[in-house]
Formats: sequence, C-alpha cells, structure tokens
Amino acid sequence: MKLRYAFKRTIASSQTGEERQIKPEVPDGMLKKCNACKAAVFVDEVKKNDYICPHCGNYFRVHARRRIEMIVDEGTFEEWDKVMPASNPLSYKGYEDKLKKLQEKTGLNEAIVTGKGKIGGTEAVLGVCDSRFLMASMGENVGEKIARAVEKATEERLPVVLFACSGGARMQEGIVSLMQMAKTSAALKRHSDAGLLYVSVLTNPTTGGVTASFAMLGDIILAEPNALIGFAGPRVIEQTIRQKLPKGFQRSEFLLEHGFIDRIVERKDMKGILARILNMHCEVSLKSEDNELGKQVNTTESIENSIEDQVENVQETVVGNIAGNAVDNGTETWKKQVGSFEKKQINETKSAWEHVQLARSKERPTGKDYIPCLFDHFTELHGDRLFGDDPAMIGGIAYFNKRPVTVIIQEKGNGTKENIAHNFGMVSPEGYRKSLRLMKQAEKFKRPVICLVDTPGAFCGVEAEERGQGEAIARNLFEMSGLKVPVLSIVIGEGGSGGALALAVGDEVWMLENSIYSILSPEGFASILWKDSSKAKEAAQVMKLTAKDLKALGIVEQIIPEKMPFTRENMADTMNILKERIHNFLKSYTILDSEKLLNKRYNRYRNL
Amino acid sequence: MIRKLLIANRGEIAVRIIRACREMGIEAVAVYSEADKESLHTQLADEAICIGPGASAESYLNMERIISAAMVSGADAIHPGFGFLSENARFAQICEQCNITFVGPPSQVIQNLGNKQIARNTMEAAGVPVIPGSTEAILDAATGAREAARIGYPVIIKAALGGGGKGMRTAFSEKEFELAFLTAQKEAQIAFGDGTMYIEHFVEHPRHIEFQILADSQGNVVHLGERDCSIQRNHQKMIEESPSMAVSDELRKRMGEAAVKAAKAAHYVNAGTIEFLLEKTGKFYFMEMNTRIQVEHPVTEWVTGLDLVKEQLKIASGEPLSFSQEDIKLQGHAIECRINAENPWKNFRPSPGMITDLHLPGGQGIRVDTGIYSGYQIPPYYDSMLAKLIVHGKNREEAIAKMKSALGEMIIQGIDTNIDYQFEIMNDPDYQKGEFDIGFLESHQIGGVKVNEA
Repeated sequence: MKLRYAFKRTIASSQTGEERQIKPEVPDGMLKKCNACKAAVFVDEVKKNDYICPHCGNYFRVHARRRIEMIVDEGTFEEWDKVMPASNPLSYKGYEDKLKKLQEKTGLNEAIVTGKGKIGGTEAVLGVCDSRFLMASMGENVGEKIARAVEKATEERLPVVLFACSGGARMQEGIVSLMQMAKTSAALKRHSDAGLLYVSVLTNPTTGGVTASFAMLGDIILAEPNALIGFAGPRVIEQTIRQKLPKGFQRSEFLLEHGFIDRIVERKDMKGILARILNMHCEVSLKSEDNELGKQVNTTESIENSIEDQVENVQETVVGNIAGNAVDNGTETWKKQVGSFEKKQINETKSAWEHVQLARSKERPTGKDYIPCLFDHFTELHGDRLFGDDPAMIGGIAYFNKRPVTVIIQEKGNGTKENIAHNFGMVSPEGYRKSLRLMKQAEKFKRPVICLVDTPGAFCGVEAEERGQGEAIARNLFEMSGLKVPVLSIVIGEGGSGGALALAVGDEVWMLENSIYSILSPEGFASILWKDSSKAKEAAQVMKLTAKDLKALGIVEQIIPEKMPFTRENMADTMNILKERIHNFLKSYTILDSEKLLNKRYNRYRNL
Repeated sequence: MIRKLLIANRGEIAVRIIRACREMGIEAVAVYSEADKESLHTQLADEAICIGPGASAESYLNMERIISAAMVSGADAIHPGFGFLSENARFAQICEQCNITFVGPPSQVIQNLGNKQIARNTMEAAGVPVIPGSTEAILDAATGAREAARIGYPVIIKAALGGGGKGMRTAFSEKEFELAFLTAQKEAQIAFGDGTMYIEHFVEHPRHIEFQILADSQGNVVHLGERDCSIQRNHQKMIEESPSMAVSDELRKRMGEAAVKAAKAAHYVNAGTIEFLLEKTGKFYFMEMNTRIQVEHPVTEWVTGLDLVKEQLKIASGEPLSFSQEDIKLQGHAIECRINAENPWKNFRPSPGMITDLHLPGGQGIRVDTGIYSGYQIPPYYDSMLAKLIVHGKNREEAIAKMKSALGEMIIQGIDTNIDYQFEIMNDPDYQKGEFDIGFLESHQIGGVKVNEA
C-alpha cells in the first residue's frame, strides 16, 4: 500500500524563535572516504584500527613516523641523517621548490626516515619510506640515507629492517636515481656478507627501481596483505601487451604464490613477527651450550610473552605452547621407560610389506604434526624466489630447546583435501629450491638444519621436467654435502628415492621404526625387474627398505621406536624419545668445527 | 528550537517521534534501510533517506551514513529513539562535534552511565542504595569466586558492558560459580567484545520498578512516578504498568527522591529511567540508568498527562521544564502490552512475514503505537515488536478489563503473534491480584507455555 501518497501533509510551519547560530557541519578531518569501498569512515576509527578500513579491511598507507611508532619499542628510536644537502643533479626546473614545499608539509627531509631502535627488545637499523613525499621515489638522498644506514648496521653488526613503499626511481633526478639501485644493493651485499640479517617489508605500493633493488633483497621478505608489488606498473604492462591483467595480479598474494615473498603479515601482527624473527637471529655461536643459549633466550621468552598479545591468529604461537606442555609432562619418567620399551618394540617382527603399509597409513602423523611436538614458535617461510612456493615442502625457523634451527619437512597432508593441497608430498623443483634457499640461509646464520623426510617420490610430471626436477635434486645433494652447519635428516614415513635423498644428505640419517627408505616404490621395483607391479609384497621383502635392514646396511644411524598405535593422537611418547635424541645430536655436532663436520659428512657418503 | 529532526530509528518509535514533530511544527526526516522502503516511518516522514542494506550494522547502526544523511537533509537535530545508537556515547559525541543537537543526554553522561561500574560508584557516592557487589572489574573466575564469597550467595554475574540479558548468569553456591562465570564471560566476549565482568548479590524474587525522570539543562529534575515492568521473559519486558501495586505513596516518595538524586549525581539531562529492584521487604536497589526514551514510556504519559517525546525535544532545544515535582500527580492506572511477531507456543519463535489483515482496537482509554499496516511485510532483520497496546482506566481493575477487551479486538493476520498469550496473562488470578515478581512467567506457565529461566 503506497500510504505516502495518501497521507495529508499536516505539518504547520509555525517555526518561531531565532535561527540557530552555528549550522551543523562535519568538522574537517572527521570523515574520510575509503578508496577501496568508497564508504565514508571516521578518521579516528581508522587510526585506532591500525589504519585499516573498519568496513572493508582495506589498508591505508601509513606515514613513516606513525609506522615507526607502531613497530619500534616506545622511546627507543634514534633518527639518523635528519639533515641532507639538497640534490638536483639534472638542475630540473622547479624541483628544489617542490622538495622544499614537501619538506614543510611532511616535516621530513626526504622520502625515507632512517635510524636505530629496538623492536620487541632487539636492536635493529630501520628505514621507513613515506609515500607523501613524491610517492617515496628513490633519488640520491633516499639512496644515500639507505646506504649510510646499512653501512652503519654492518659496522655495528645490527640487523636491518626496511619498510618499502615506493613508485620507483625518482624521474626528476634521472640517471643519478638509477644509480641508487646499485648503491643500495651494494651496501646490502656487504651487510649480508658480514653474516647479518636484512628483513624487507613490502607495503602498498612497492614498484619499479625499488622493487628491483633493496626491496627484493631481504633474507626474509614480508609483505602487507594486498599490496601492489611489481617492477613494471600494471598500467604500463596493460598498454604494452594490450591485454587486460587478471584480478590480483602483482598483489602480495600473487607474489607469495610465485615464490617471491616469505609471508604475508597482517598489520596488527607485524611488530610481533618482526620481533620474533629478529630474536631468532640474535648473534649466538653455533657452539653455544644450551645453558648459554638459555641466558640469551630467557629474554626471548619474556619478549615472546609480551608480544603474544599482539600476535593473534599466528598459528605457530599456539603450536608452540602445545609442544611445551607435551614435553613438560614426563620427559624424566620417559627416560626410564624408554629402554625397555625400545627393545620390546624392535624385537617384534613385522614383514617388510607390513612396514610399507604402516609407513603409508592414513593415520600416521605427517610432517606438520611433528612441528608442535618438537619445536617452539615455528615461523614458516615461503617461496623459492624463482618460480613458486611448493606446498609439498614446508620450511621455516623455530626454536628447538631454545636454540634457533631451520626446519624443513616434506608434507603429505591429512585427508584427501589436504593430500591434494600438498600434492601428496610429491615435491616439485620449486620445493627443492625453497629447501635449498632455507638451508643456505641457515648456513649464513649458523643454524643447524633438521629435515623430516616423507615422500612417495619427487613429483613426476611435465611441469616438473620443464623446470628441471633432476637439476633441483642434484643441486640439493651437491650443496648439502658442503653445508657448514649440522644437518640431521629423519625419515618419518616414506623415503621415496631421489625425492627423499634430496633432503637426506645429512651428518646423520635416522628412521622411525615403521618408516621405509628405498630406491623406488616396491610397486615400481616389481614392475621394472619382474614386469609385474602386483608383486610389490615380494619386492618389499627383497628391497631391504625397512629401518632395521637399512641400519644393518649402515645407511642410517638410528631407529626411533614407535609407541603403537603411532597416530596423531598418540604420538607424544614417541616424540619425547625423538626430542631427547635430537637434543643429543645437536649437542655433539654443534661443537665440531666446520672442517671436521664436512669431512665427517663427506666420508659418510664416500664410504657407502 | 529544533527546526528539522532526523529520526535515527525505525518502526513504531520512529512513527511516534514523527507524530510529535508534526504537532510541534518540526520537519521530520526518516532514515531507512533497503528492507524498510515500505515501512510506515519511511512513508509518514516529510523526507526519507536510504542509509544502506537491511542488516542493522550497515544501516541503522552505521554512524557515518546517518551523519551524512543529517548533513544532506539539513537536519539540525537527531533523535535516536531506543535500541540502535540511542545509548552509544560515541554517536552522541559525534553529533556534538558536528553541532547536531542529540536528543538525549550529553555523550559523557551516556559514557559514564553505560559503564556499570562507574554508574554504580556514582550512585553509591550519591547515597542511592545499590546492591552489594564487587568494587573492581573482574576478569577471572578465581578472583570472582573470592568476591562472591565476600558479597554472599546467591550472586549474579554480569558483563560490565552488558544489556538485554546477555553475559548474565546466577550462581546460588560456590559450586555453581565457576561454570556460571565462564559462561557469562564467554557470552559477554561474543556479544560486546569485552570480558570484563562484575558480580553482585542476587536479589531473590524482586520486582522490576523503574522511575521515569525528566531533567532540563538548567538542572531541574522531576520524576514521573514508577513503572512496574516485572512481567518479563529472559530479561525482556512484556507488560508494563503504572502505578505499581507494590509501591505505596510513602515508598514512591522515597524511591522518587532516590531517582532524582541519581539523575542529579549523573548530571543527567533529558528523559531517562532509573531501574530499581524492589525486594518484598521494601528494600530497593539501583540497577542501572537508561539514557534514552523507553519502549514503555506511554504508560507514564497516560498517568501523568505529559507527552514525553515533546518534552524531550523541548529539553534538547534548551527550554526549561514547565512544571515542578508538585505538579506531577498520577491519575488512574495504565498498562502496556507489547505485541510481538512471535509464537509463544513454539518457544517464542520469531514470525516475520506479510500482515494480510489488520484490525486495531480503539475507544476511550485505548492507544495503539505501531508501525504496521495492512499489507506490510515484516523484514527479518529487526526485533519482533509490532505494536504497543496501552490502556488507561480509573483503577487497575478497569485497566485490566480494558486491556482484555482491546486484546480481544486486536486482529493481526498472516503471522503469529503473542496476543493470545498476553490475553492469558490478563486472565491469570495472580496477575489480577498484582502478586508477581520478575519470575512470574517462569513460575506460572501461562497458557501452558514453559518459560525457562535465562
């Protein structure tokens, strides 16, 4: 019923009294339009919400000083190079005036603020770009400030954290701007060669000459969600190739998928994640005893506790706590029981085929189930920096009994959906290249490497061959043999051929009691030698693929007994044994100097 | 004086406010969600502005859009009604910053009274009786249990930012405490995003007695007598009346004085309500102060002869009250029944849908405030109250008789309503005798309907 047309207008416009003096009006700066959802938003609400639109979650750009407040511990920031001489190498008309105006408007001398401060208690050199200043383009002074900051960091042996946000090189300064790319990269190379950490944080937008220099050179590269990151701008690409670009092109998520960034970090978690990463890289000698490490990490724990609140939704945190509890309960009692239990378990004889079936069982824990049991604060890092990020290979940094270690696992996934997501643990070349990148990183920062092997074999497919599966595996064998830090490989399920060996050139190789390790699957073996894959059972028997057989052959050093049934729900006891043994491994291998370590490893394979 | 008023609400209260505007010569601007395009308030107002999709969060709770609507329409004042943004201190503050007259108390007052702990401390300091309870915010069960032991069981656990029965649990013994606390806290966390709790002595079998006050910006405060709102389900009121059978003239004087004291202590301006719990012993305790017009305000309007919404608009325009406490005399007896789109025999299941036929009662001493009409489609997004049926008689017996007659005449077809249930309550002997407390619906199984304790 359209009542509105039927109602009489009965209002008497009998307004008396004076007109009000002050007209209603929205004060300047109260409301702002979100450039993503186009809705009006209250500015103070956006500020309170870490500069994120409360309606659509869009990230607003953050000014450098505000960013420093959000990241650096209060009162610890010391700004460097506050005054820089004016630079106008091309004598570009009006440029100096423009700079002066911007300096007045922003209170900054250039498009970057550099200095030193503490992040979650760890001292670091910091550089933060400010988009208000000519879209944070890199001219001579930006390059100079970065180079100086990095040089000083090298001198003082401090890590560097750079928040990138830039349109690229600064056109007004021409070729001199281009040279800043080389200058900043060179400074970072010296910093890196000194064994120091550089974390790059990419924010919206990071493009052009900045992407093609310091932004992409981080040991660890983080990015804010949905940030535009690329070399050529999307508009330029569209005009050049005359094609519409797909949705999400050159966004953080796109880069993660293509292996160029380690992880996407939400703004509210950024400080916590940075603090943790910096803490994991505090300089300690590889040979530090655990009790010495304890001193170091005592501060870590209090920091972790204080940042815990800030890092919500970070899975690793939760994971770490569970591990802590599991280990507290009864490591001592276990030590007593382990002896008798080990003997009993191993003496029970199973057929080789039964071992194969157990190794492949759906109930069997997979790599990621081990992480919370063995490690604390696992921080996953993604990508091979070349092509992609392989979900069949998971890598990252974690604490093992307070000691930072690099953890690399092959992951099959649990259940069909996860199996597919992880490609059933069949690793692609980009997976091996990611593992190698992380191992080299471990070597740089003197962290032991722990690999968990569980794969039916390297991924067999056209794409894998196109990208050089053989080369990727070979490169791992080549580089792992010379990695100057202890490497421990543990076969936890299937050790399928070269795909497994690419993570198993370690100082020691261990196997879980019911895992297998072989040249090929029993089915493949039967089919090649006997032209009949149905004879897998017989093949398993002759292949010598069980832990016991392989120990007898000298292929593996240790067998980890499994408390049966060995399932996700019932793995704590087995994990306690494993944890104890890893502890002992690290204790004896971290004290070796690298020459001794490498000779030992060389001979281990030389003699097989 | 306000020239153009934006009503940041919907349904019957928006209609109610538009009517007051018409009588006062104020232009009325309605805002509406896409789901309320055909609502009565949208059609009745002089102007109507769409402020977004049906979901409240994107329309009636979206401050940016409502402020923008005020700017676009040139309104110089906003009436928030009840619910939605009516007790949102931040919204009131934004209105203040934009030089828009907010029809209600100053934002700081809303802020202070909205925080139960601050409100309680203010009242205690002013000498208004409060229920013995925790003095500090409580965040964990162990601290809570210690406090509960000190206060004395039974206790009730409430969310500091709570309302509407959410985040509220009782514990009759130490044994029950932990579970009750954790449940309440979890609810509070979900509903208000804050797990700060407080604990107080649980007053057994109390009546809910509230006092309406009016305060002008010159500092004059009068009370307009009480409303007895004891007939409620899950802390949601269902029937309200004035005066209360349990309040003698002498008690009214004492409680009224306490209410005025409370309003003054809070530096209150505009219409407000002080809620008390009244024990059988005659002891009463301050519960909370509502900083808005209430659903049940017509009950008070009828016994006092005042138009509370008009009074609100006058106060908001800076006018002093035109009467004093001595001028207020309660005449006769008024009862209000809330008519909801819900089926009491199916666990009060909400019943949105199309109103196919409608007949409303009328006659002397009968008032219906509603936003529905024949052919109206009830949107599923909002609360289920369709109408308020209010009657006025020379005494309680006459009022009950009128209410029964009016309920019997009220026809709403196409959806389920609680009209029959209300009718059954009117016929209940204990209700008729005036012998009830807030547990009435739970203990009486009206019409065979079991109402579980909240």
